[in-house]
Formats: sequence, structure tokens, C-alpha cells
Amino acid sequence: MVQQDPDAQVCTLRVRSEVAFGPENLCLPTVDVRRRVDDALAIVGIAGLADRKTTTLSGGEKQRLAIASILAMQPSAVLLDEPTANLDPMAAKQILELLGRLHQEEERTLVIVEHRLAPLMRYAPRLLVMDEGRIVDRRAARVRHDLLALGLRTGGVKAGQAGPAASARTHVSLRDVSFGYPGQPVIDQLSLQVRAGEILGVIGPNGGGKTTLLRLIAMLEKPESGCVERDADVRMVFQHPHQQIFERSVRCELDIEGTLSDEARAAILAEARLDGLEEAAPLSLSLGEQRRLTVASAVRTEPALLLLDEPFIGQDRRNVAWMVGRLLTRRARGGSVVLVSHDIPLVGSLCDRLVYLNRNVVITGEPEAVFERLRGQGLSAFTPSFWDEGEP
Amino acid sequence: MAFTEYQSGTRGLHRGGPLGSLAILCGFLVVGLVGGGLAVRAAALICVFGLAAVSSERLWPFFRSLRFVLTFAVVLFVAQALSVRDGRTLFHVGVSITDEGLRAGAQMALRFFLIISSSFLFVLVTDPDRLANAMIRFGVPYRYGFVFILALRFVPFFRDELRTVREAQRMRGIRTRIRRLSDVRRAVRYTFVPVLVSGLVRVDSIAMSMKGRCFGLHRTRSQLEKIRLGWADGWAVLLAALWVTMSVLSRRYGWF
Repeated sequence: MVQQDPDAQVCTLRVRSEVAFGPENLCLPTVDVRRRVDDALAIVGIAGLADRKTTTLSGGEKQRLAIASILAMQPSAVLLDEPTANLDPMAAKQILELLGRLHQEEERTLVIVEHRLAPLMRYAPRLLVMDEGRIVDRRAARVRHDLLALGLRTGGVKAGQAGPAASARTHVSLRDVSFGYPGQPVIDQLSLQVRAGEILGVIGPNGGGKTTLLRLIAMLEKPESGCVERDADVRMVFQHPHQQIFERSVRCELDIEGTLSDEARAAILAEARLDGLEEAAPLSLSLGEQRRLTVASAVRTEPALLLLDEPFIGQDRRNVAWMVGRLLTRRARGGSVVLVSHDIPLVGSLCDRLVYLNRNVVITGEPEAVFERLRGQGLSAFTPSFWDEGEP
Repeated sequence: MAFTEYQSGTRGLHRGGPLGSLAILCGFLVVGLVGGGLAVRAAALICVFGLAAVSSERLWPFFRSLRFVLTFAVVLFVAQALSVRDGRTLFHVGVSITDEGLRAGAQMALRFFLIISSSFLFVLVTDPDRLANAMIRFGVPYRYGFVFILALRFVPFFRDELRTVREAQRMRGIRTRIRRLSDVRRAVRYTFVPVLVSGLVRVDSIAMSMKGRCFGLHRTRSQLEKIRLGWADGWAVLLAALWVTMSVLSRRYGWF
């Protein structure tokens, strides 16, 4: 089984030993282990990385490694739990193409849990749609119909009506900001403004500097040169919810920054589909519920500036729609939002402006203009057309 | 670059295998724990730095990673010097400072610094995968060998998680400074619990990943990489034996 988080499934410290781990456990002769390792690495296209440390791999490479590790066991079926959820669109595209190749050329049986279906449709998979334990079994041609019947949608959640135009007031201003880690420059001379009443989307490959940008705005990092000016109170929702859950109950968690009235709390929880969980221990909730709790905790303080790092991972479209609603409300009330996400169709339809960030490559502008330039540079995976299934 | 992690290389101790490095670590730990005179421990410490110098491309990061350890060693020295009353009084700084106090302080600080710095050196030059393989090859049950690998894997993980949790506290205006005893409980809940939960989540994922690849299915497992002892390992064992001998003789006869 290949899990969602590429970091969380690597057991050893070298690529070769990671792939060999399974066959070694089967007590296969060394010569067979070596052959299986070489074959599996070649199939997923990372034979050249065999001697690398696993910690130095990118997210996409780690996910390929995880798939190679499973293939080396020569299973009759491979289970994949949202294998692209944590990957940037380019890495996700490569993984999906790899899965397609495994299915078509290697004739492997693949069972894939996935929210983003469009790229898989071209392989005509058999689709099982699940909702609250119920399965609807239909072929691809009817799946959109089935999803609609369940109140779900397959494509990006549309933002609906545009909010008020961003005001002239600036909440954040970055001027010629450079930042890096030892021997690893991340952001180079970036200038950027976030205006009140604006949702700014940040897209780009893993390691391109998206989270670092949020950290600079939150002033968790100091720029090496240039300056960051902020004229707004800020809340940040981190990528992993359990890192920012501190209290013993959902109620206490929501009350950390001031006690809410029972009615207000109940309303927030109902909107976030956490009703009935008021006294539950937050860390006993599912990952998706924890993520909604962290978003609700941040939004309830009505911060002028809200920073979100991949809030949509692991959320079905109904929950994404709730989050989108909260962000639009913030925007309508003059707040600003900086949103890092790999959900390209969603950021394309939701955000007023986009920043594509890949270290020293920065493309800023309105979404369509940014997508047009990305298409021109052969980065179609970062444009909605690759991911969007369109309206049924 | 974190020096609490293995750094690959081709120089010095990197030429030997993991068992050679382990032997050297054991040698220095014996000097640190069993004892010997001040001179023996100081010489062992110099030897650690010498081995780090010949084994690492850049020595400064190694020293930098030991800054906190050095600070703590100085605190130990001062605390001993101020608290030990035995021996000849050398001077007064509000309390009497004795030669025995200085000696005890130097011994304790050196012991602490030697143990930690030699452990850092070991981590720096030892590929944990290869060490575990070597241990398994030479009779350690493979389940324990992998405990070692996974433990090392979690060192940077916990460091990063702690940092993120503290940042998340800052973003929500949570202060966890400990001024009263009751603050300890709050700090544990707000810091220790999230880090622990992160660790458990990660352990759960890794356990699932290992189980999914048949870890523990058989009593033994095959190994892709065969670990062989080389001449460099022989020299390492010899060096370790030398330090153990020096330590024992120094303690037995009060030398150095």
C-alpha cells in the first residue's frame, strides 16, 4: 500500500535499501533481491537515484520510491491512498502517468483512493464512489452523474460571485526579500503586496518557496535582505493540523483565543461539519476534521490577514466548499487571504491574483494571465485544464 | 547542515565500516564513563576532534553543533567548582574555590563533553543503515537493528516538529514560559502532547509501511548489502583498545 504522505512511509535511509526492504523481509536470495530492486527502480524511473539518501529526495521522488518499494514485492495488486495529495501538480502529473503506465504496460491491478479524478479518467478506470460507507459502482461515463446524485462534484469548487475589488490598503508588503537555508537559496529578491479584500493564491513546485513565503509574512523567518512590512493581525493555518491543536476538547480549542458563546460555537461547529463533537478530544478526530477545526479556530478570530498552507488536502468537495465560503466571507469583510495550494482549478477560480513561485522564478498576475504564461513555458500541470473535469 | 545526522564522505573514519566506528565510540565512552586522569580524558577529547577533522570536509559545523554542549559543560564545571569544599583553598569569590573543586569540575565537564562529542562524531561518520546491517549480520536480532535505524530517523523529525509546534503556539498567542509549577503542566500539554502525537502519527504510518512489506514475517531476513570487516576497521578496533587500556591503567594506578 502506498500512503498519502511520501515522508511518512520511508523506513530506511538509502533509496536502494528502501526498495530492498520488502524482498529482504521475504528472505529472498541476494541475487533475486538485487534484480527486483533494479527492476522496480527502472519501472518507476528513478534508477539513477539508487544510491541517494532518502532524505534528499523531493516529494515526487519519494512517492516514486514508495511505489518502487511496493513493486519490488511483486504484489498482485497495489493500493494507493491519495498518492498525489501532497505533491505539487508537476510531480502529481508524473505519478499519475506512472500509474497509467503500470496499468497499461505492466498490467498491474491498482486500487487508488483519489479526489482528483480527471487525469485518471483517460485510463478508463472502474470507479467506486464512496460516501459515508455507501458504495456506488459505475463506469466512468456515469460517474459524474453519480457524484452529483450524492451531492458531490468532481471538479474544482467554483468561487461563485466575485467579491468586492481589493482596496488600496496594503496588508503586507515585501520589498526585495531574499531568504535561504545554508547552501540553499529559496527566495530571491521577491517584491509583493497583499491588499485588503484580496485572496492571493500561491502555487509552484514543492521546495519552490511557497511555505517559506508564508513564514516570512507571518514573521516566523527573518529575510536575509529586503524587508517585510505588515499592517494587519495575522493567523496561520499550518499544513499538518496536529501541530497546532493544543487543547483537550474541541470546545476548549475554539476558546483558546477568547471564550465563545454556546450559540456562536455551535454555529461554527455546525458550519464546519463538526457538530456533536464539542466535547471530543481534538486529536481523536480524523485528519480532515482536525484540519477543519484548525481553519475554524483561525477564522473565528476574524483576522485581517489569514495565511493557509494546503488547507484542502484530504477534504472532500463539500468540506472544500465550506472553507471556500469562509475565505470569501473574509474577503467580503475586507480581510486578505494568502492561500498556498496545489489544487490548481480551485485557486484559479477562487483567487484574485496568483503567484507562481519556483525559487528565483516568480510569475505574478491575475489567474488567467499566470496560467497563460505557465502554459507557454510547458508547465501545463500548473494550469486548471489538466486537472479540471469541467461541469457535468 | 545538521551534524546530528550522518554525513557521507570518503575520508578518515568514513573509510572504515560501521563496526569500526562503533568500536571507536565504545573506546571513548569507556574513557568518559570508567575514568582515568584528567590528561587521559583531555587527550581523548583532542583525539575526537582530530578524527572529526580528518573525517569531515568542514570542521567548523562540527564545533558549532557542540556549542550548547560546551555551554552546559562550562555550567557543570562552575557548579562543581563552587560546591566542592574539599581540598586546598585557592581563592575566594564569595565562596572558597578549592583545587579539588576545580579538579572535580574539570573531570565532570570533560567527561560530559567527551561522551557527547564522541557520540556526535559517531553519528557523523556512521551510515545507520550499514550499522544496522552489520549488527544484524553479527548476531543482533533484526528487529532490534531496525529499532536503531528508526530511532535515528526520528531525531531530525522531532527537532523539526518541536520547532513547528512552537511556531504554531506563537501564531495563536500561546506563551509556554515556565515561571510556576503549574506552568509545567500547561507547557507539557501545549508542547509535549502535540509533538508526541506527531511522533505517534509518524510511527503509525511507518509501522503500516513496514508491515505492508512483510517486516517480521520470518525469523531472519536476507541482506542486499554484505558488510565485511576491512583493514580500516582493524585500526579502529586497535585505537579503541588503546583508549580502553589507557583508561583502565590510569584508573588502576592513578596515572595522568
